[in-house]
Amino acid sequence: MKWTSVRRPETLLPVSSIALTVLAFVLIPTYTDSTLASFDVYNTLQVFARLGLIALALGLTMIAGEFDLSVVGVYTLGGMLAVQAGQHHWAYGVLAAVGAGVAIGLVQGLLVAGLALPSMPVTLATYIALLGLTSALSGGLTKSYTNASVTLWVDQPVATFFSPRSLITLGLFLLAGAVLTLTRVGRELRAIGSNRRASRVAGVGVGRLLVATFVVSGALSALGGALLAFSLGSANPDPGTQPLILAASAALLGGVSLAGGRGHPLGLLGGTVAVALLAEVATVAAFPSYVTQLFYAGLLGVIVVVDAPDLHDAVVRLRTRFRSSHDPTPAPNQIEDFA
Amino acid sequence: MSSLTTRSEAVRYRLRPRLRQVGLIDALVLGAVVAAAAVGLATPRFATFANAKAILTSASLVGITALGLTLIVIGGSAVSLAISQTVAATGMIFLAAQSLGLVPALVIGVVVGGLITAGQGAVVGYAAANPVVLTIAASFAIAGVATGVTGGTSVSPTGPGYDRLNATPASIPLSVYALVAAAALVEWVLRRTAFGRSLYLIGENRAAARAAGLPVGRTTTAAWFGAGALFAVTAAFTAAFNTAANVNLGGTLTFDAIAAVLAGGTPISGGSGSAGRTLAGAVLIAATSDILLLRGYSTGIQVMVKGLIVTVVVVLVHLRTRGRRP
Repeated sequence: MKWTSVRRPETLLPVSSIALTVLAFVLIPTYTDSTLASFDVYNTLQVFARLGLIALALGLTMIAGEFDLSVVGVYTLGGMLAVQAGQHHWAYGVLAAVGAGVAIGLVQGLLVAGLALPSMPVTLATYIALLGLTSALSGGLTKSYTNASVTLWVDQPVATFFSPRSLITLGLFLLAGAVLTLTRVGRELRAIGSNRRASRVAGVGVGRLLVATFVVSGALSALGGALLAFSLGSANPDPGTQPLILAASAALLGGVSLAGGRGHPLGLLGGTVAVALLAEVATVAAFPSYVTQLFYAGLLGVIVVVDAPDLHDAVVRLRTRFRSSHDPTPAPNQIEDFA
Repeated sequence: MSSLTTRSEAVRYRLRPRLRQVGLIDALVLGAVVAAAAVGLATPRFATFANAKAILTSASLVGITALGLTLIVIGGSAVSLAISQTVAATGMIFLAAQSLGLVPALVIGVVVGGLITAGQGAVVGYAAANPVVLTIAASFAIAGVATGVTGGTSVSPTGPGYDRLNATPASIPLSVYALVAAAALVEWVLRRTAFGRSLYLIGENRAAARAAGLPVGRTTTAAWFGAGALFAVTAAFTAAFNTAANVNLGGTLTFDAIAAVLAGGTPISGGSGSAGRTLAGAVLIAATSDILLLRGYSTGIQVMVKGLIVTVVVVLVHLRTRGRRP
């Protein structure tokens, strides 16, 4: 592989975050009293399954240059619908959850694409409305799922390390990766994320693609919520902001840019696994939860500052000035910085 | 072919449906307000002085917070998602500083709240960092530090001075007076000061404001400082009311404040908005929740209707602005 392609942030970020977190994970016995067991890998993948689908949903909308804050709302509603509609058979629950996710995504996508609304206020309002709806559906209480065989099935170990839940999540990441690599959807998604007007002129069906992205985002979040509810055997109407923060961290570590137009599902996979590994390290090392919180805050803070456009411009300007005072001809990779 | 006539006709034909659209939206909003008022009046115990006081009281704390957020939104830096945590942390500081007396504690709270928020504003203003993700990170950081310092326990007041904030002069809570004062102050700053005018310009077009030589970074930082100071005022009232403060003191204030700003018709993209609109938004949401409560709907339904109101207002404001500025 060429050095320049590794240096691209969408490869560099997930690869280095995986490398660092795997190192921290493998070295657990050196800085704590615990030893590593295959159970820890299984647990990591369970955290990955809990987080993966909303990270993928959020990441896909970010690649398209939008920010779907409603993912956690859909995730919560999905869990609640799965529990309430799936008491007799899990399939009804999944169907209700994913159907609702698709419908919500469709409405949001049509609003954002059809009226050229900014996605932030729309998805934020949807998030508020969905939390209200979920709480109204459950009377504000946690609802338990009585079908214990489903709960046992989704979390049973497969090949020591996996469970059906983590395999489904992994499969959806790979499916999204394949679709975005093998079809032109990937290129078009990045195109509408980086320059919407130019991609419209170039013949990309911007509206259709945006609606589809929001629909996929809704379906994935709802499925993630349904799987979590089956696994926990209950659905909680108030998830707090933690899932959103972890999903955003995973997407950003996965090499997705806040400005849109950059990223790939495989990078998102890397970012999510890195966040899951971090969570497992924190659990095994028994850090107090506020230390983990501070750590995530620092991580997100660093990423968002490094990603800040004006800071980036200032650095590029400084570097150009420094180089031109040494060498009158511009270095070849300087052009790359502007691209 | 006389190109002048054709062009002006073309302009007229293009404008007419847009103007009609604006008129239609205005009529729609008016109709909705009249319908809501009718539902309100038909609700038993809605049109009473005691209930009006209840609405104002519940609007006051969200309103003060939303006024602070209005400064952030007008300046074009979207929203802060760290409001609840800032309120919790400054509420703790306010109660812990009670031994110094009410006024010093209030000053300390306001300065700390302002500085915490201004720090985020500086990163947004100078480096153009994404405010949504930055404030998500800040919310985690503030909650983490607050939990670490207090060990996860509640902070109790160290003096009795705080209780004066619970006073009800003329049987109206002090926080309602604070809301009116804060609204007047924010409106004056936005309309009458150079800072206010440049904040609108920066929100409207950051690049142009920078090209025109406006201090984008400094103005944004100052706006966030003002926002943080108002969050701290809310924190003082909330902490005084609860007589204790823990990390959950802020509750759902982040989303309530955003909902109030958006329901007032301020676009999230920045460059427009006013204290009056935010005040109207806060009262609208408080009144709607009140009607639903009086009619016996659950908290969940109230929250859902709040979300729906925000969605509808966001869409209508967007359509209307697009109609006015083709």
